[in-house]
Amino acid sequence: MTALLELNALSGGYEPVQIFKDVSLTMQPGEAIGLFGPNGHGKTTLLRTVSGLIDPWSGDVIFEGERLNRPGARAARRSRNLNYDLLTRRRMDPKRVARAGLIHVQQGNLLFPEMTVAETLSIAPAATGSRGDPRALTDEALTLFPRLTERLDSKCRFLSGGERQMLSVACGLIAAPRLLILDEPTLGLSPKLRQELAAAIRAVRAKGVPLIVVDQDVEFLESLIDTLYLFDHGRISGRMAKEEMPSHAEIMRMLFGDAAAEAPA
Amino acid sequence: MTLETLGFILTGGLVLGALYALMATGLAVVWTTLGIFNFAHGAFIAVGAYAAWQIGAGDAWGFGALAGAIAAVAILAALGAGLHQALVRPFERQPNIVLISVITTLAGAQILENLLILIWGPRPKQIEAFVGGEARLAGITLSWNEVVLLATIALTLLALGGFLRTNPIGRSMRAVAQNREAAQLLGLDVPRLYALSFALSAAMAGLAGVFIGATRFMSPTMGADPLLKALIVVIFGGVARFTSPIYAAFIVGMVEAFASFYAGLYWTPAILFALMIGVLVVAPEGLFGRKSRTV
Amino acid sequence: MRYDPPFHRSTGLWPAVTAFAALAVFPLVNDDNYLQHLMVLVMVYAIVAASWDLSLGWGGLFNFAHVALFATGLYAYGILAKTLGVSPWLAIPLGGVAAMAVAALMTAPVLRLDGIYVILVTLAVSQLLFQIVISQSDVTGGASGMVTLPSLKWDGYSFVRDGKIGYYYVALALLAAAMAFLQWLVRAPLGRAIRALRDNKHYAVSRGVPEARTRLLALLASAAPAGVAGAFYGSYIRVASPDIFGIGTLTLLLSILLLGGAGTLWGPVAAAFAVTLMSEAIAGLGPWREILIAVAIVAVMAFYPGGLWAAVQELREAAATALSQMRATRNRSTRAAARAALTGGAKETYIATPHGRIAVADGGGKGPALLFIHGNSACKEAFARQFEAFGARHRVVAFDLPGHGVSDNADPETSYNIPAYAEVAEAVIDALNLDTPVVFGWSLGGYVALELAAREKKPLAGLAIAGTSPLALAPDDVARGYDPDSHFIFAGRQYLTRAEGKIFADEACAPRENGAAYMHENFPRTDGRARAYMITKFPVVNWPRQMRMLREGRLPFAILNGHDDPFLNHAYIAGLTYGDIFRGAPYDIQGGQHAPFFNTPEAFNEAFAAFAADCLARPRKAEGAAAGG
Repeated sequence: MTALLELNALSGGYEPVQIFKDVSLTMQPGEAIGLFGPNGHGKTTLLRTVSGLIDPWSGDVIFEGERLNRPGARAARRSRNLNYDLLTRRRMDPKRVARAGLIHVQQGNLLFPEMTVAETLSIAPAATGSRGDPRALTDEALTLFPRLTERLDSKCRFLSGGERQMLSVACGLIAAPRLLILDEPTLGLSPKLRQELAAAIRAVRAKGVPLIVVDQDVEFLESLIDTLYLFDHGRISGRMAKEEMPSHAEIMRMLFGDAAAEAPA
Repeated sequence: MTLETLGFILTGGLVLGALYALMATGLAVVWTTLGIFNFAHGAFIAVGAYAAWQIGAGDAWGFGALAGAIAAVAILAALGAGLHQALVRPFERQPNIVLISVITTLAGAQILENLLILIWGPRPKQIEAFVGGEARLAGITLSWNEVVLLATIALTLLALGGFLRTNPIGRSMRAVAQNREAAQLLGLDVPRLYALSFALSAAMAGLAGVFIGATRFMSPTMGADPLLKALIVVIFGGVARFTSPIYAAFIVGMVEAFASFYAGLYWTPAILFALMIGVLVVAPEGLFGRKSRTV
Repeated sequence: MRYDPPFHRSTGLWPAVTAFAALAVFPLVNDDNYLQHLMVLVMVYAIVAASWDLSLGWGGLFNFAHVALFATGLYAYGILAKTLGVSPWLAIPLGGVAAMAVAALMTAPVLRLDGIYVILVTLAVSQLLFQIVISQSDVTGGASGMVTLPSLKWDGYSFVRDGKIGYYYVALALLAAAMAFLQWLVRAPLGRAIRALRDNKHYAVSRGVPEARTRLLALLASAAPAGVAGAFYGSYIRVASPDIFGIGTLTLLLSILLLGGAGTLWGPVAAAFAVTLMSEAIAGLGPWREILIAVAIVAVMAFYPGGLWAAVQELREAAATALSQMRATRNRSTRAAARAALTGGAKETYIATPHGRIAVADGGGKGPALLFIHGNSACKEAFARQFEAFGARHRVVAFDLPGHGVSDNADPETSYNIPAYAEVAEAVIDALNLDTPVVFGWSLGGYVALELAAREKKPLAGLAIAGTSPLALAPDDVARGYDPDSHFIFAGRQYLTRAEGKIFADEACAPRENGAAYMHENFPRTDGRARAYMITKFPVVNWPRQMRMLREGRLPFAILNGHDDPFLNHAYIAGLTYGDIFRGAPYDIQGGQHAPFFNTPEAFNEAFAAFAADCLARPRKAEGAAAGG
């Protein structure tokens, strides 16, 4: 059986600074994984690379047996000033990634501030292709987030943080994801909204949609995923199955040593 | 002032306003989608006029004014997409694209204007009027040509507004303008949408060129003055909404018509620029709203 | 607070002096009057473009009215010198004043705006000026302009005579004065404030940079040279025409500025010569000339957006790198004997590592191994006195870091950083089969040693550092661990002048006459990129891991700083927590400087010997017992 997503020794960053190095992981079909680690250590950059927003430097992104990036390492950049955008082709195309069904819901997404919810939902099926019927998918997403139905004619910039996050996730669902990446979906939400959103994401998971979730809330992650990866200093530093998932304090100790775990959270 | 003079000024302002609306909307489409200011827009106007003349005029190929106008618009759309590829695309991911695109679009204007000189020479030309005669309505006199102009521009702007509001591709263009990364993650074809917005903008410049070529003498630098006026309009109205530059265009057109009547031709541009600076100081985002990028 | 050499002591002095000397000699060897005329125009353009760079490049202020400021100077000269009969010599500086007045008026709308809106409002200002010039024909001559403006005269001698050589030297003097002024300004506090506002406006404002005042002063300072140049231009071509406001002048000057390189000051000057002379060379092509120039501008912007000055810098770096590598290659054979003498006849070998070929000196003794790691811009022979003192009882090993000594230069992106240096040390331990060595690191080498220990890939018997401050929080704590006023700042400079290299070597090691002549030789050899990249890549080190290791006392540790180290802040170092430290606290070597092992070898060697004996007396841990992470 081909793996759902395979990252082989993936390295990348923002020229000329490398952010993550030699990240390898394999996801089986139907699996949900979590990434957990301190802020600023490259989780978001890794996900942005996987979805093709920035080019990987080396390594492979293989999705359902299909390689999404150009093979080989990026050419060495000898000159600091040459415009390599012009001399080298992009190594990955975000459009192709999305249309293959690998859908990335960004962190703190503002979406399209001047477009209404209905307009936004109407362009969301751009990547759906033949995987599903956009209308049915839209209805399904709206059932999951009934709040959005009430706000169809509001512009995105008038939505609350939670509603915006719901709209982002709904857009991701309408694209009929084969794999859904959620980058800190509950960031900055009130406890009530956080629970509402978490419940909806659990419902998505219950339908069998494979997930990659980044979040700082270990309990939330635990309720969703099968495998947890610890990610710090641009590397995967640990992997554990759900059964052996440790408490928040233990994870902090693994990442930062004793002093951090003793410190009040 | 007699009523007749007033009517004369008002119709003059209306026609100017319509032309400015066409040009300014074209500029605004690129500005809002790509976040850059296209200084080659004036050269697009000139190219449109010359193309329409070459194809339509009796002393050139002579296919007729209508064929000339349609061909000019089509040619300009292709030219716009091509120039986007050459002048803007290479810098898409450079941090200082705003500054770089100023010089590259200026260079693009330089190239186009000099090519016009090479091909058609500096001798002025004029496109024949589409229709002759005058229309009179409630004491106001308009040439039929001006009626055609007003109707065409109104239809074009209506069609464009409708396209951006209801068509999925038009909505995608607005989405790209507002959040490029989110649009990419939805699977939208961002480079193609950018090229499309440049093509639309250039086609509108071409249409403006056809109309200007039919009312004034054409020269390779004929676009410079309309470009400056369009610039004033865009700043004056802002780009918060699709309609903002259109309202502003008619205000500027009327101000210009009244100013040239009362203050004279020499002072009119100075008044307009002073007005624009004043607006920028008081309301940097234009008279009609916030600075947000949207079409 | 920060050391910044005056221009006359920086590496930029000689190129500038040479260029101006060449320009001064030029009219004496050239008899082509037209070329000389062009050179005057070039110098005028250079002044305008360089002063524009102050607001556009340094200030990040998209001021597109600069050409109008130039035109203001021109018209001010016309009105003052011709209409009002003011002396041309007075009218030229007044042209600058007029431009400054316009700039001051323009500040109000510019202040509230950002980015593209600044372009638009400044373009509108220049159009407004243009319209005023056109409409006030009784003062400005309207569309036809002003002609027969007075020319420059001195005591009856008209500068028009003798091929206008007088004008040439006035232009040269103005260019020199403008560049001196701009160069002084960008290094003055105001210049820093201007740049700070460009790079991070909100941060700069929150740190107390007054935005309005800085913007105003930046515009004024950038307007003055442009106005003076405009007035001089008027006295030279003796015509003030509204064409100057046109898109042509704007395109020419903007292309000079951007092709030279925005934010570089000298780039636009160089580009003024290149662009003007090249466009003159193809003057016969008519419209094709404009097209070719425009295509060239787009091509340069597309492929090499840094422009001419960036190319100069890249070439300079390539030359400096090649030169330092040549020195290393030459020294390998020619100075082998001298190196052997310093290391007590230690065997020099070269090992291949992922970070290039590394030179290793192995004393070859039978006893337990000691590994020495040298500091920034030094070499393995820095430890000559330790090879001598410990050679009998220990196997003393030292190596040259990549880009240092007789090791090869390496890829700056991957190899000039502390973790890479630690990998090199691991490769040396492997290649020589060093069995749990005691490691000593000096200064930069101290960080390498800390990183080597923290990685826990190779078992070490103990770890000692000198001239290094462990950092709890990097890079923030660098300013606390070190004296920020000291010459420590040279450690990250890619290019050092001879004088700066001497100061740094004197303070980091010892003056030449104290037997350190060979240490001073390291400065021309060291790859300057090794300094620059090491500092920029400082944050890639896992600093908390180092502190954790020290706090938990995972291995015997010693700090043997010189008591009189000019760079270190001893109080900061003493304030950190150490789990297992030699003699209970950082141990200062009395009389020691930054390199105590070099300056006060007896005291240092005694302490280090005691530490090594202490380490070796402890029971060995099982190899690789401590697993990372």
